[in-house]
Amino acid sequence: MRMTTITEAIISAALAQHGSSGAGEAVAAHAAGVAEHAGAALTSVDGPMWLGLIPLLPLLGVVIIAILACFNDKSKLPAWISVGLIGVSFILTLVTYLGWDGHSVIHTRLWEWIGLSWGDHPGQTLSSGFAFYFDGLSLLWMLFVTGLAALIGLYASEYMEHDLGLGYCRFFAAFCLFVFSMSCLVMGDNLLMLFLGWEGVGLCSYLLIGYFYKKKTAVDAGMKAFIVNRVGDLGLLMGMLLTFTTFGTVEYDALFTQIHAGTTASGVPLADTWQVWAIPLLLMGGAFGKSAQMFFYVWLPDAMEGPTPVSALIHAATMVTAGVYLVARMMPLYTADPNHVALTAVTWGGTITAFWAATIAMAQYDIKRIMGYSTISQLGYMFAGLGVLATTGGVFHVFTHAFFKATLFLACGAVMHGFAGQLDMRKLSGLWKIPGFQITVIAMLIGCLNLSGFPFTGGYFSKDMIIAEAFVTPDSVIWGSSWAGWLLLLTAGLTAYYTFRVFFRVFVGPVVYEPGEDLHGDAEHFHPHGPKWAINLVLTLLAVGCIASAGLYFVGGEHGWTGGMVHASSAVVETGHGKHGLLFGKNPHEIMFYISAVFGFGGILLAAWFHGPVGLAGLLIGNRTKADVVRMDPIARAIRPISTWAEHKWYVDEFYHLVLVTPLKVFAYLFSWFDKLVVDGLVNLFGGMPKVGSDVIGETTQTGVLHDYAQRMIAGVAVVLVVVVLVVF
Amino acid sequence: MTDAVLMLAQADFPTPMGVLTLNHYLFVSTAMFALGLIGFMTRRNLIIMFLCTELMFQAAGLALIAFGRYHLNFDGQTFVIFILTIAAAEAAMALALVVLLFRRRESLDADLWAELKG
Amino acid sequence: MNTAIAELPINPLLLYVACVLGAIGVILAMPRKGVSPMVFGGLLAAAAGGLIVLGLTSHAERHAQTPSIFFYIFGLLALGAGLRMITHPKPVYAALYFILTIIASSGLYLLLSAEFMAFALIIIYAGAILITYLFVIMLATLPPSEDDMDALATYDASAREPIVATFAGFTLLAVLTTMLFRGTLSLPVRHGMDSSDAILSKLPGKVEDNLSASLHAAELMTPEEHIARQVDVGRVWIDSARRRVLVSRGENTAGPDQGELVRWVDVPAEMWPADMVGTNVEGVGLNLLADHPMTIEIAGVILLMAMLGATVLARKQVDLEEEAKARQARHLALDVVAEDVG
Repeated sequence: MRMTTITEAIISAALAQHGSSGAGEAVAAHAAGVAEHAGAALTSVDGPMWLGLIPLLPLLGVVIIAILACFNDKSKLPAWISVGLIGVSFILTLVTYLGWDGHSVIHTRLWEWIGLSWGDHPGQTLSSGFAFYFDGLSLLWMLFVTGLAALIGLYASEYMEHDLGLGYCRFFAAFCLFVFSMSCLVMGDNLLMLFLGWEGVGLCSYLLIGYFYKKKTAVDAGMKAFIVNRVGDLGLLMGMLLTFTTFGTVEYDALFTQIHAGTTASGVPLADTWQVWAIPLLLMGGAFGKSAQMFFYVWLPDAMEGPTPVSALIHAATMVTAGVYLVARMMPLYTADPNHVALTAVTWGGTITAFWAATIAMAQYDIKRIMGYSTISQLGYMFAGLGVLATTGGVFHVFTHAFFKATLFLACGAVMHGFAGQLDMRKLSGLWKIPGFQITVIAMLIGCLNLSGFPFTGGYFSKDMIIAEAFVTPDSVIWGSSWAGWLLLLTAGLTAYYTFRVFFRVFVGPVVYEPGEDLHGDAEHFHPHGPKWAINLVLTLLAVGCIASAGLYFVGGEHGWTGGMVHASSAVVETGHGKHGLLFGKNPHEIMFYISAVFGFGGILLAAWFHGPVGLAGLLIGNRTKADVVRMDPIARAIRPISTWAEHKWYVDEFYHLVLVTPLKVFAYLFSWFDKLVVDGLVNLFGGMPKVGSDVIGETTQTGVLHDYAQRMIAGVAVVLVVVVLVVF
Repeated sequence: MTDAVLMLAQADFPTPMGVLTLNHYLFVSTAMFALGLIGFMTRRNLIIMFLCTELMFQAAGLALIAFGRYHLNFDGQTFVIFILTIAAAEAAMALALVVLLFRRRESLDADLWAELKG
Repeated sequence: MNTAIAELPINPLLLYVACVLGAIGVILAMPRKGVSPMVFGGLLAAAAGGLIVLGLTSHAERHAQTPSIFFYIFGLLALGAGLRMITHPKPVYAALYFILTIIASSGLYLLLSAEFMAFALIIIYAGAILITYLFVIMLATLPPSEDDMDALATYDASAREPIVATFAGFTLLAVLTTMLFRGTLSLPVRHGMDSSDAILSKLPGKVEDNLSASLHAAELMTPEEHIARQVDVGRVWIDSARRRVLVSRGENTAGPDQGELVRWVDVPAEMWPADMVGTNVEGVGLNLLADHPMTIEIAGVILLMAMLGATVLARKQVDLEEEAKARQARHLALDVVAEDVG
């Protein structure tokens, strides 16, 4: 409770300074209601300049690879450069982490990026350094961003080899640029740096989704991702601007100090302003856009058009968690609102998305898309965790999810790579028995266990923390948080079901396969080729990482390693323990392990019953003997409207088309006609008049004879001079 | 002879020249310029047209020298040297062109060349 | 800028009447087919010129600023030859009349104390440029036919739209003279800027050569003294009217205010050389090289370009058709083969 006293000290100092008893009472009451804690109370140390290398090395990689591309390089050099430089970045991050004292913020200011001042009053100076802010949160993020990027780069070196010389350089340049942008996003010490990285990762996402630019669906998916993100980014931008106008700064340190002082830059008590709920809501818009929550989720499934390493790194492990990072980073701002409007919105946005995406994932057949929906669903969990003030759980889930979802995607990628792009679970079965895929299947199994929340996996612990906290946080603090908890529990069951639906259908059972659409050759003589050393190595390492991530729950303090990291950051929140919510009369933290295990097992058993093959691999209750006939089929037919709707993603895309895209197209069509008829018409009219005039004049005056021109020139000069003499003299 | 010329030239140098005297010279210069212009506009022979431009150069040179004398400095004369240079260059170029054009059409009539007709 | 008519060098009405008269004269003097009242036109133009001269002179007499009689001779000659040049149907005569204009102009230059330019004008224009013109006239004229040696080319025989052109030209003349006559009234008058002394002061070597030895010999200057040069620009102080020169004992001096180190030496009349004057050529040379060095550079480049251009333009045109080239090549190849076989 050391930090509480510091917070109170700051508040009382603010009270003494402003001397406004009414406002002071409001602030004090607020402080008593929910105690929140201070990133600003962390001590600050100056970091070494070489921290700048962490983002700048990948940027150097972009330059080198671009040069290689100019020389038409056809080797795997770009991949090695990327992996090497990002690996060095990872090592530097690791060194930074090891040298970190565990409770202070490391500041490194490379240079003044933007420094504007138009007055002496607060809010009239905009200063933003190209500077880094290392607390527990950014260190944790940087560790898995650079680590996973290095591993996935290694994986991609093999996965992308069919594009050697074609797009290999382009891929890795964008890959490195992504790591640079993501590092700026995470490490930046102000919102502008975050925004720079935010837009940078958006750009890289667009570039990499549209990597196969000759494929229309890929290009469309890239544009969709970009445009949907723009809508969210508007929220982020407005939130940033509002932050600046309210607090007079965008730098985290100053911002958090200001928030903990409980006043705006002009001294108004924060709790009385409308900005206190507007800013978090706007920032939430940006976060939801980037993390594909609520209405914004539509871009992420389509983003699976990109190469699988991209899906694994950007659209599962790192970039989509930027929204979670933003909310976690801005946690002081969210908790500053006494009514917790934005936090409630975050909770319910995340919960509904988690459930919604899980239902869609249950009806899909494309295994990579299932993973995509699963990502949306899991991101929903993370937001729900942040919303119910379980930042540790949310962040821990980000961390474990990064590992197991990367594993799952990369395993799917290995399948896709081996079967010429085949991803339809109705056409693949029994991969376990196909030579070369054993490591893939084991990695897949570990990933699936994590995702479904199988006991003692990383996913199990992190999900439990979130769900338990939903019950712990009283409904009076976050509206309906226990209901959200129940919905999340149900979703956990659904997750286990759809996850093992994939596993039971594709990876075990009778051997059936058809090559996919990328096949160049004879389908009759198609032989799947198992992944080679790079993919296998990465899968192995990631599977080990998945298992190891569970261990993080047990090391460190009360909430594991992640708890320690979060406590040393601005994301730390401590709920008032006096109002501990109960579940069945017990502490939710204690019984949640059993409840969620029940839901997880239930989902797995259901999947085994409906989709499992005959024999041990189907847990002895499955009866599937073909790839495309399962017990689920008659049920799906029986509930046809629902299952079809779910398969078509509840027709949200179509709804958007009808409500947003079609009217816009109609308007665009009308305006294009207006443009052609009126605007172009006017321009052409004015353009045509000289033409007609010159045709008439030219016929008569442009004789081409030298004398005529000389005569007219001299007569013109004479006339001008006559006028001058008459007027001036 | 030399003495006569020097006497003529240095008759009242460096006594300043009056405005009226300057105006006399300027009138001669302007009239010469007008004659050159009129010649350029009326004569159809390319060579005479170029001679008329030389006449205009002369007029400009005279004005420069007159002004230089009025201000009692040498800038005017320096620029007449420049004019002489331009005139020589122009003569070389223009006459080369005249020869070229004459070879094409066997005529010096400027009105025969009307390729710029719009 | 309303100037009283009385201040003007010539009554504007008189000027405009003369311009109209001159225009009519020039129109009449233009070559035309059939009967051409050239002589009458010339006379009319001359009368107009005379009218203006009269107007200017009458006014000038009041101010006692009449230019010398030579001005009227040369001016009339220049304008008359110019008029004849633009009206003469034959190019050769036109060129010759132009030479007359040049000579008359150089006379005017002399009157304006620009001797160097006067002679340069004759040498360059009359001597070089006009001769080139004559050559080109010779080159670019069709040989006369046997039966009519004096036949004129059609384009020489008649002027083109003389009335419009002359009207425009004389309008310009009237306007320009009006502007100039009124404008010169407000010209600033500066005196004695480039007097002989001013030129001499820029020529320290010439002054020293002429004076140092005799001054030392006459012991008007002690052995350690020398004619003073200004430190930065290397000028000397000399006063021809009072025949004296500034000498100094130091290496250089900054000016006459240096007290004991510098002093004026009065030079006796017999020791003052007769040619101790700054000449026009020296003045022009100094001005050209010291004040306008860029002019020389530009003039040089222009001349070079003109030389190249003239060379390119006047060389014999060899524009064979592509087909002809191919034919020629085949022809040559056949010749080679034939030689080999032979």
